[in-house]
Amino acid sequence: MPLRSFEYIEPASVSEACQILGDYPEEARICAGGTSLLLLMKQSIVRPRYLVNIKKIPRLCYIENDGAMVRIGALTTHHDLEVSPLIAQCFPPIAETEHEIANVRVRSVGTVGGNLGFAEPLTDLPPMFMALDASVKIENAKQSRLIPLGTLFVGHYETILEPGELITEVQISRTPKSFGLKYLRFSAGSDKPAVGCAVSVTLDDSTGVCSNARVVLGCVAPTPLRVEASEALLVGREFRPQLAEQAARVASEACSPLEDIRGSEQYKRDIVKILTARAVTGAFEHAKRLS
Amino acid sequence: MKRAIRVTVNRTEHVLSVEPCETLLDLLRNHLNLTGAKLGCDQQVCGACTVLLDGLPVSSCTVLAVDVDARQVLSIEGLAEGQELHPIQHAFLRHSAFQCAYCTPGMIMAIKALQDQVPRANDDQIRHFLAGNICRCGCHVEILEVARAILGTPSTPPREVLP
Repeated sequence: MPLRSFEYIEPASVSEACQILGDYPEEARICAGGTSLLLLMKQSIVRPRYLVNIKKIPRLCYIENDGAMVRIGALTTHHDLEVSPLIAQCFPPIAETEHEIANVRVRSVGTVGGNLGFAEPLTDLPPMFMALDASVKIENAKQSRLIPLGTLFVGHYETILEPGELITEVQISRTPKSFGLKYLRFSAGSDKPAVGCAVSVTLDDSTGVCSNARVVLGCVAPTPLRVEASEALLVGREFRPQLAEQAARVASEACSPLEDIRGSEQYKRDIVKILTARAVTGAFEHAKRLS
Repeated sequence: MKRAIRVTVNRTEHVLSVEPCETLLDLLRNHLNLTGAKLGCDQQVCGACTVLLDGLPVSSCTVLAVDVDARQVLSIEGLAEGQELHPIQHAFLRHSAFQCAYCTPGMIMAIKALQDQVPRANDDQIRHFLAGNICRCGCHVEILEVARAILGTPSTPPREVLP
């Protein structure tokens, strides 16, 4: 369906963009890649009066590593992450997952900031970033704040962003030496994922005992879901297959999947159990290889 | 309100006045009469509208025309050199890789993008890259042959699907 008409604004700076967003809290929508927003606008589900294209703002597209931290600018595309040598070196699961997201055309255009800000539940980056304890930088016309990514999401398509605020950067602190990350997704071809599971573990170099863990599920709750009960099972233990299965069972009980064309509630719980067990195993294996 | 944009399409610069709600596909078809790229699903799934934007494949149905200001677009009409078809176009003819041909311009642009990005793609990489371009007539086997011929990829049997 054709797009309904709207007024188009092309701010030249973050502060100008935030000013406009603050002036029209109900009527303005941010457009980065537009891969999700424009589809909703075609269906008239979202009808902004002002479309604020932030792509002309300079210095929002970058992937940098200063040793202590990897910084990813909000306008970095899926394709940028997919082919970045830095991402492949620091976080191989991100590069591997980006290779599978949607199709090549969507990856050319869709952005990291748009992906997070849209708060689509059926998506891959948030669980992975949360397993890496990522933070997001949020700016308004006057100042910026840094929040843990996990606190950004409120519900389906809903974030804590206030009127006049814009996501400008994702920050991932340097991971410890014996740190393993594994992300697994379940999807039919180029479709959105039906289930995603990210697990990270930090191991004690000499004993192989897990000192820190993150288990984050995607697609099976209104927001990415951190399963602290599964994490607690892993911390203080060495890897055993039964441990992975135990953590997986807890995760499958903690989530609240919705039935849709991708599967029934029970089916998705079963997939959560399988993916979590495999992701826990994979994260331990990854960490052991590095220790 | 209309906006003036300056865009390079198939190596020719155009200054156009476009509505913000027009897409890149509207720009090509309605402003420049370049009707190779087709409207298919209108939601970035089928690939019939594929063109290259600054060298990368995009769904022109879901890119705003105002957004291609100062950028480079390559559409199917920009592949041939005068009367001489591009090698990918020749390969499509040689392998009869179409029936209705509605998907063909997008398919050819996708193979062009693959050739640019992964010049020595193996069979798996070809299948993966082209997974987002759909041929409803079911000419995927012949299209795969085209990509193999263009990239010099030996054919390998498809992986067995587990029961």
